Amino acid sequence: MNAIILPVLVLFPILSGALIPLLPFKNRTHMMVYVEGAVLVNSALALAAMLNRPETEFILFRFTSNLTLSFRLDSLGTVFCALISALWPLATLYAFEYMKHEEHEKFFFMFYTITFGITMGIALAEDLVTMYCFYEMLTLATFPLVLHTLTREAVLASRTYLYYSLGGAAFAFIGVIFILIYGTTPDFTAGGVLDLAAIGSRTNLLLLIYVFCFFGFSVKAAMFPFSGWLPKAGVAPTPVTALLHAVAVVKAGAFAIIRITYYSFGTEFLRGTWAQTAVLVPVIFTIVYGCSRALKETHLKRRLAWSTVSNLSYILFGVALMSPAGLVGALCHMVFHAVMKICSFFCAGAVIYRSGREYIFQLDGLGRKMPRVFGIFTLAGMALMGVPGLCGFVSKWNLVKAAVDSQNPLAYVGIAALMVSALLTAIYMMTIAVRAFFPAKDPKYTSEELGTAAERTGENEETAKDGGKTGVSHAVVPYEEVSDPNWMMLLPLCIFVIAIVCFGLHPQPIVDAFEKIASAMS
Amino acid sequence: MGGWILAPIFLPVAVGVCFLLPLGREKVGDGDGKALSRLHILTGIVLALTAVAALLCAWTGDRSFTLLELMDGIPIYFHIDDVGRLFVTVISVVWVLVGFYAFVYMKHEGKERRFFGFYLIVFGVLIALSFAGNLVTMYLFYELMTLTSMPLVLHNGSREAIMAALKYLFYSMCGAYLGLFGIFFLYKYCDTLRFTAGGTLNLTLAAGNTTILMIAVFGMLIGFGAKAGMFPLHAWLPAAHPVAPSPASAVMSGIIAKAGVLAVIRVVYYVVGPDFIRGTWIQTAWMTLTLLTVFMGSMLAFREPVFKKRLAYSTVSQVSYILFGLSALSPTAMEGALLHVVFHAFIKSALFLTAGIFIFQTGKERVEDFRGFGKKMPNTLWCYTFAALALIGIPPTCGFISKWYLAEGALEAGVGVFGWLGPAVLLLSALLTAGYLLPLVTNGFFPKEKAAVETQAGDPPALMLTPLVILAALTVLLGVFPNPLIRFVSGIAASVL
Repeated sequence: MNAIILPVLVLFPILSGALIPLLPFKNRTHMMVYVEGAVLVNSALALAAMLNRPETEFILFRFTSNLTLSFRLDSLGTVFCALISALWPLATLYAFEYMKHEEHEKFFFMFYTITFGITMGIALAEDLVTMYCFYEMLTLATFPLVLHTLTREAVLASRTYLYYSLGGAAFAFIGVIFILIYGTTPDFTAGGVLDLAAIGSRTNLLLLIYVFCFFGFSVKAAMFPFSGWLPKAGVAPTPVTALLHAVAVVKAGAFAIIRITYYSFGTEFLRGTWAQTAVLVPVIFTIVYGCSRALKETHLKRRLAWSTVSNLSYILFGVALMSPAGLVGALCHMVFHAVMKICSFFCAGAVIYRSGREYIFQLDGLGRKMPRVFGIFTLAGMALMGVPGLCGFVSKWNLVKAAVDSQNPLAYVGIAALMVSALLTAIYMMTIAVRAFFPAKDPKYTSEELGTAAERTGENEETAKDGGKTGVSHAVVPYEEVSDPNWMMLLPLCIFVIAIVCFGLHPQPIVDAFEKIASAMS
Repeated sequence: MGGWILAPIFLPVAVGVCFLLPLGREKVGDGDGKALSRLHILTGIVLALTAVAALLCAWTGDRSFTLLELMDGIPIYFHIDDVGRLFVTVISVVWVLVGFYAFVYMKHEGKERRFFGFYLIVFGVLIALSFAGNLVTMYLFYELMTLTSMPLVLHNGSREAIMAALKYLFYSMCGAYLGLFGIFFLYKYCDTLRFTAGGTLNLTLAAGNTTILMIAVFGMLIGFGAKAGMFPLHAWLPAAHPVAPSPASAVMSGIIAKAGVLAVIRVVYYVVGPDFIRGTWIQTAWMTLTLLTVFMGSMLAFREPVFKKRLAYSTVSQVSYILFGLSALSPTAMEGALLHVVFHAFIKSALFLTAGIFIFQTGKERVEDFRGFGKKMPNTLWCYTFAALALIGIPPTCGFISKWYLAEGALEAGVGVFGWLGPAVLLLSALLTAGYLLPLVTNGFFPKEKAAVETQAGDPPALMLTPLVILAALTVLLGVFPNPLIRFVSGIAASVL
């Protein structure tokens, strides 16, 4: 296929998104058809491009002779590209139903669609500079989505998000410069591009720069101590939290780290140095830290956000093992975590949307009223815990296998951290399921109890002013009137469930594909 | 042919899941008399069919079956060997008997559809656990067992029950993840994770990494020991077993605690191999923990006034007898351990069923309330008496035989100070067992004063009493005619040691 398809994949959603506020839609349905159509067309184009991969690069723009804005679809980019083009149409469908009662819908879908193109740009970037450009643009395009509800909390959260992300990108930029100077080429090359002759005795400097760069990109991947923005950004509408803050944005951070580690600096150069230790330690810490915070959190979406913090560090752990096997584990978790977490977020969104309940203590007995949603939530929780036969186990198995193979004592500590994290995951996911399906008392709230429940929520809001409540101001629906959502919400959930089970029972094709990518490293 | 293994696994799971799904008839089994008897008949038929299928599968030759490849080299693989046969037989007998007992008992707990749904699912999962042919398959069903048996614990929906169920879940998960940690290392350093008598550890590969490997194996012992109530992860057991409905407590103590034992047997004798552990700090630490648990469990049971809780502490102590026998790594001790698996399953189920009958008929839970019940419900109390004597280990009941083998095994195992310390602790614990079980018998038959509250309650309906009588009879019969069973377990012990 001609390489011209690559810039189309990036620019088409950006343009069609930008047109949304300008087009005179007669009603909401027309806009829905337009947005879903644009997203689907782009996903179909992406599929075509992936099946029939263009061999050559496409140079969109040339700053200087070796500084270009260019695209290329390599094997690693395919993984990320496939992930987002599979999830975007489903999330858009879900968003139509969820955003029904929200204001500024047009602007929401404008930025939502633009983000698709920009994330695609990160996946398709051929060199570090292109990736960096789209990385910055991603921050700017998703910033309005966090801001969406315009409440005080949303404004504060979006500001935090902006500062964290821009700050991180600045650190990462240092790395970009050094790669341009000390690398043989700015393009991503499996195994790294560093010119050892040019480095000479400046090895330690380069390692320091790598650590800077890792930390810089890890802001988007929410590594401790840069994880604070992610739970706060949960004030955004659920489709944003689910797709961007569990998949696209945060995985872009992880993807960028894979690029610099395996494709720019190269693992040969990094493995076994102090730089590896310096990145492994905070990663391992974050695995446990994220889960512990999730356990403490009583707000449903924020609990899932903290869980994301922990799970993103699973991916970074695989990356930081700096071996081909570690990359396989990281890629597995990148894909599988995306499916599991977007599924749990959509369940949480469905609960908020249908019942108006956001705090976990309000969920007593809801499992009987929303059996499908909570059934799926339980399954996703079991997958996150790593029950064999579901996809979470596959990625955990591959990550730990790589860690055992590395024979690095710190990696053994990492395995222990993964196990502790799995235990905490079991606790924070299963308590929700138990509450929903096996309420401690008769769940039929009298109006009195409902009042006290609302008061408790009020108290919690006051104490958690900083974190903010989800901007969506759904009123608490009486217990009797709660029910499962309609097909627009259930269809994506069912597809995710099928994916969780299929990947769990038959992961070999996908793992083989990842192994092929990783084998190019050695 | 091998595919028949799946029949006793999927049949109860499928029927159980159907019970749990709403299917538009939410009311069925809850209060509606006719629907309730339909539920009972269906459950009874499925229980019986499953048990027959499981036993047929187990005792008609060696079968193996690969369900699917989970990942390269990690299949979901079932294989029936002698240990699996032993466990599946015990499980089937107890599960069916307690199931019939539950038909009557659960009338006063309600939500029967949910209870029997999970009861059937756990049955299928346990059969799969016994038939599992490699470590990952076993781990899969071990996790599923935890998740599906948890609703049995929280059945009555009280706050206490839910807290206990969550405690059960977290301790079990903690144990399971300790086990998983070890599995990752064994995957690297063993030739195969498939169960092979004597172990598959590749010593040349492991050379140089023995420290981490030993830590991993010890973690597995602690982890899988959690289900068996071994110190330090025992605390869930006295919380969870008593709050469950009595039939559930009976199978939790009698069977599910044994699943931890099965996992330990598989790890030590079929994957790691006893030679790797013998004489190392692992064995010393393990033996210390088991003896500590034996003593501690008996002491706690001795001073516990609530009957079911007392029995739960007794389980903590008794299951660690089994683990002690396994930790000695000698053939005789292992025979004793396997015998105690069988005997304790029958005895403890019988004891919990008795406790259930007391609660069902009188609503009383504390030991001191049971004065003078011997006259009202003689059959129940006689069954209790036999089971109690068996647990203490008084000949000719079966407990005597297993304890004899355990003590003899410890003495001949060549484990230094544990050679005499072990039997001494077992003896002490037996005295305590007599101390906490027999007062019920003496007070029951010969009350010093009149019963605290007059009650009209008599022996329970036949459907409740019969399973108890069968279990109690088994404890005596197996003590009088133990030879076939001893021959069978000595075959197992000889194959792995």
